[in-house]
Amino acid sequence: MTREDSTSRAELELGDLQRLLLRLIAAPAGVADALAREPALAPHGLDAIIRGDERMTAAERLEIYANAYFYRLLDVLKEDYPLTLAALGDDNFHNLITDYLLEFPPTEPSIHFAGRSLAQFLLVHPLGAARPWLAELATFERATLEALHAADAAALDAAAMRAIPVGAWPSVAMRLAPAARVLEFAWRIDELAGANPQVTLPHPPRRSPLAMLLWRRAGEVLFRPLELLESAALVLAGRPQGARFEEICERIADHWTDPAAAPAAIDRMLARWLNDGLMVRADR
Amino acid sequence: MKRAEFPFLGYGVGLRRPHYDYIVGARPAMDWFEIVSENFMVAGGPALKTLARVRENYPVVMHGVSLSIGSADPLNRAYLRDLGNLARRVNPAWISDHLCWTGVAGRNLHDLIPLPFTAAVAAHVADRIRTVQDVLGRRMAIENVSSYMSYAASSMAEWEFVATVADAADCAILLDINNIFVNAFNHRFDPHVYIDAIPSERIVQFHLAGHSDFGAYLLDSHDHPIRPEVWRLFAYAVGRFGEVSTLIEWDDRIPPFATLAAAADEARSRAHAALAYRARGSAAESPR
Repeated sequence: MTREDSTSRAELELGDLQRLLLRLIAAPAGVADALAREPALAPHGLDAIIRGDERMTAAERLEIYANAYFYRLLDVLKEDYPLTLAALGDDNFHNLITDYLLEFPPTEPSIHFAGRSLAQFLLVHPLGAARPWLAELATFERATLEALHAADAAALDAAAMRAIPVGAWPSVAMRLAPAARVLEFAWRIDELAGANPQVTLPHPPRRSPLAMLLWRRAGEVLFRPLELLESAALVLAGRPQGARFEEICERIADHWTDPAAAPAAIDRMLARWLNDGLMVRADR
Repeated sequence: MKRAEFPFLGYGVGLRRPHYDYIVGARPAMDWFEIVSENFMVAGGPALKTLARVRENYPVVMHGVSLSIGSADPLNRAYLRDLGNLARRVNPAWISDHLCWTGVAGRNLHDLIPLPFTAAVAAHVADRIRTVQDVLGRRMAIENVSSYMSYAASSMAEWEFVATVADAADCAILLDINNIFVNAFNHRFDPHVYIDAIPSERIVQFHLAGHSDFGAYLLDSHDHPIRPEVWRLFAYAVGRFGEVSTLIEWDDRIPPFATLAAAADEARSRAHAALAYRARGSAAESPR
């Protein structure tokens, strides 16, 4: 037998063992319950695989890993979704995560990704159905986390714009910085976004369309509601290819009831975008 | 293996979020820091900025938790690429991960699950460590894990498995003293036998941490001060291996930085005392 033969056989046996343990550790109702669904383990059961002794049975030893699996992920998701947790309360959140991990078990090496589908899951979960705004609140919390860890980029600032000849401004292509994004909600999530997650949230938000800008400045993620006009412009700049400045101006002018006032509005918006570091060059 | 690839760094602590601002702002005296690699495998933002600032002033070691070197799944090449990218950014003193598996079938348990101690599994793991070292272009250190279960299929002791893998992979060993103590209780062996059996030339780092006593088993919880029994085992290990880069791990209920720094100082004092004891021609301080 060659070493390769030996290794691949070991991988096969190791794979069978690891897949079995994965099923037992990740089972929502505990190891004993999961063992009942593993008829192939009879007649010696788990004891043929894991050593037990008079202190702890094999199942009790494996249960340590099962508990660690669930509670480690629960703790991380509590940290990632403090407002969703506050809205649901501990017991409901615990039940939600139990169900969530069955549908969306972690697949990435970094635990940072474990909660990335929670908002999507809330759309179909009874706890989300009873609180139709909750998926949007979770979307906000996830977006905050992603903005925090988004790529750094050299933002356009006023000095950089001043260095460009005014005649060339219309063709300057810009797009939202990687850490900035526009979120569109059906509920006034901004009413909850600044709440203290240490207490139960005071009330559900109002049902009213909301465009919210989320961005990072000096290592902190900030947000503010957007007027329709600014939202339309930033959505255009939020495309992967960005937009030329003249396209952004046209979009704003299209929405402006008084065309004569549009230039001043554009000027104010651009100054704010540059000050907040929202834009990067898209043509370089 | 050339020891020069793993210089002696002194006595360090883990770089943890509650201390970021203090470390960057106050630049406290500390020999070195260890990071959890995955916490910094992000595109950008304040964590990477903090790390860059810390790296300007201290040596840094990258310690991973998700390499899953013992998995039956193929090595995760995207993870290795990201790990390599972080290493190029950080220029760490070295890179380490755990002798275990963390996931299979495309799933991740985010826990350090022990392996069966067999020759075939040792060969499987050693092949994969060699591949990782080739990809990273550097030798890595592999850490013994704490465990709460052992396999009926194991045909060798844990210390034999660790030594076999390290020899076959030609990699370094990060020896976690607390994990040895925890496993000695959980699986009923003499921790000194473990330490005596590990090849001295491969030891490049010690980990020290606190554990929790649940009566029937000890849990490697990293949320307590280091227990006196573990300090004694540390002294025994220093007597056997000499002075080795040592790190205090504290990951939950994280205390003020001063508490961690005091633990690092205590490790230094105890190591020097153990070395002085050895130099006087006696066996190292024994916990027995």
